Amino acid sequence: MISGIFHSSYEKDMALRRTHAQKIRLVILFLFLLAFPFIFRENRYYLTLANQVGIAIIGAIGLNILVGYTGQISLGQGGFMAVGAYTAGILTARLGMPWWASTIAACFATALVGVLFGIPSLRLKGLYLAIATLSAQVIILWIVTNWGAVTGGVEALVVPNPTLFGVRLNSDFNFYWVTWLLVLLVTIATVNLFRTHYGRAFIAIRDQDIAASVMGVDLFKYKLLAFAISSFLVGLAGALTAHYRSIVTWERFTVDVSVLYLAMIIIGGLGSVTGSFLGATFMTLLPALLTNLGRAARGTFPAIDSLLPFIQQGTFGLVIILFLIFEPEGLNKIWRNIKDYFRLWPFSY
Amino acid sequence: MLHKTKVLFLVLLTVSLMLAACGGTEPAATSSAEQPKKPIKVGAIFDLTGATADVGTPYSEGIKGYVEWLNANGGVEGHRIELISADYAYKVDVAEQLYSQYVSEGVVAFMGWGTGDTEALRTKIAEDKIPFMSASYSAGLLDIQVAPYNFLIGTSYSDQAIIALRWALEDWAAKGNSDKPQIALIHHDSPFGTSPVADAKAFAEANGVTFTSLAMPRGATDYVAELAQMARFGADYVVVHTVSSPAAVLLKDARSQGFAAQFILLNWCADEIFINLAGDAAEGVIGTIPFTPPTSPVPGHKNADEFLKSKGSSLEAKGLHYTQGWWTMAVMTEGIRRTIQEGKEVNGMNLRAALETISNFDTGGVTSPITFTPTSHRGNSSLRLFKVENGKWVSLTDFISAK
Repeated sequence: MISGIFHSSYEKDMALRRTHAQKIRLVILFLFLLAFPFIFRENRYYLTLANQVGIAIIGAIGLNILVGYTGQISLGQGGFMAVGAYTAGILTARLGMPWWASTIAACFATALVGVLFGIPSLRLKGLYLAIATLSAQVIILWIVTNWGAVTGGVEALVVPNPTLFGVRLNSDFNFYWVTWLLVLLVTIATVNLFRTHYGRAFIAIRDQDIAASVMGVDLFKYKLLAFAISSFLVGLAGALTAHYRSIVTWERFTVDVSVLYLAMIIIGGLGSVTGSFLGATFMTLLPALLTNLGRAARGTFPAIDSLLPFIQQGTFGLVIILFLIFEPEGLNKIWRNIKDYFRLWPFSY
Repeated sequence: MLHKTKVLFLVLLTVSLMLAACGGTEPAATSSAEQPKKPIKVGAIFDLTGATADVGTPYSEGIKGYVEWLNANGGVEGHRIELISADYAYKVDVAEQLYSQYVSEGVVAFMGWGTGDTEALRTKIAEDKIPFMSASYSAGLLDIQVAPYNFLIGTSYSDQAIIALRWALEDWAAKGNSDKPQIALIHHDSPFGTSPVADAKAFAEANGVTFTSLAMPRGATDYVAELAQMARFGADYVVVHTVSSPAAVLLKDARSQGFAAQFILLNWCADEIFINLAGDAAEGVIGTIPFTPPTSPVPGHKNADEFLKSKGSSLEAKGLHYTQGWWTMAVMTEGIRRTIQEGKEVNGMNLRAALETISNFDTGGVTSPITFTPTSHRGNSSLRLFKVENGKWVSLTDFISAK
């Protein structure tokens, strides 16, 4: 009979995977992810969804490092993704750089832009910083749409198909491996980041920046570092969309995207990698689920057929509100509650 | 805490039960029992709840209406058209999801909507060989090398702007002026808006017209500053390329400022919505409209109008975007018809080839005749100008070509 998880040594407390159940779950998830593309090989739709989810997870983890772990609110997600996508696109399309090289370059370029727009974060907090990062979104999109000579401006930027050893990578099936391998790498890197002193400094800044500063955390340095690491991953997500869809258009990176990603990490759970997974998956799949639900329901009640799109939109909002009312700490907390329920059954409080 | 979790479980359970129940009704919803021939699947995405829903809704109704009318009248060569469609709320990633869903369900053609989805899907439709028509008329889509499966039904924005300029030159001369007019182009601040600027400028310079262009700031509540700028420039004609509501604000401001230039609106602001919003300020405004508005009846309106009247509505109530959707779908259907008549399997590649044989296709005066060739997917390059008189778009000229 267990009444909770207790660690009797520091090694155990610091371990990445703390329980057997966790290890088993990870193995099951891993096997599922390995099997998924083979099961749905003939169904492009599921593969497209899986790739979109993967890219969203990378972007959400990136944003969560900044917002959830370091406490710096950002509304510039769409703009930073645009920097990643356009850098990767331009380097590959115009300079003929291989896709992997342009992706790496895009990550660093986005990190640099992130640092630039992160500078005001030393003086600005909360809503003020949100507005400052919103300006990043607006400025970046303005540059993208008006600097036609470089970005293509009016015309969308067509990116050549990525290949590796002669195999075309951006079919839905092949790109799945690229996306989810990177999801794996990003996850391992992020989980470990918060076991290092850098990650702990980020958390200290989030919890109480003055106290962190008194303890010797250089606020400016670590805030900018958080912007850099976060933007690096967001840039990666942007670069992946460029290579996956082999076209870059500005309308993919509007302010809606910034809000959507913020919603992902709030609904998933701030300051949690699992939360980023859950939030990104939920926010990508829920509209698709509702659309299919609406399609299946069409004809059942002909009188409301024309209202279905509005019902879908309304349901989307309602579900999010319900989740937040029942569990303000997000899907990750719900997930923990479920685990606790079974672990402590039948003698939970 | 646990109580809350239980409630949430219940909610989830209910939702999943609903899902299961709805899933069960799907086969019943598609009643193709008595069709002897295989239905032809066409995918479509519409904006019914997003930023452009005001014009996207009648456009979608036009496409759906045409398919319903066609199927009720025997379909194409006995084949029913099965239109698979959904709202994508002008979200690019949703458009991509729906596209790959419909392609994996075997659609042979795809009807898009705006610039956002048309551009984002361009490379994939070329790869999948799915002929694509949308309501985005960017001249960039005319390059057969970069957009081999995009077909344009409407006159491109560039051609519209050139037609507007051409008419302005004639009008200026007809008024007894011996010099050249000053023409300004004011446009939406987006790639959609800037799309015709370069071509219009080139045409103006070639004809010795003093030309300027300026962007309408996004989210502005008035355009007094822009009007002052155009007044200083001394504009005799102002070409407007934006959507209905900013155009209405612009016109209202122009009237209240006593700005006397002649306004010429390109198609996305020259519609019934503009007239409703601008009211009296709309009087005398000219529009380059590729799809003849129902207020100026032509034979091509007849079927749609009769179909709508049988449903208790009318084409005039639905407006010109309904006509636009109806005839866009009609041209795609013509391609399908030709593929079947040639005895070929209806797939994307054969459909593209069949569409490219369409020559001088008559839309009953709704558009100038549509022609596609293997080297050009520019449906037409001429249109008629319309003028607002007593709150209605009435025909002003015959077809004017941009060439």
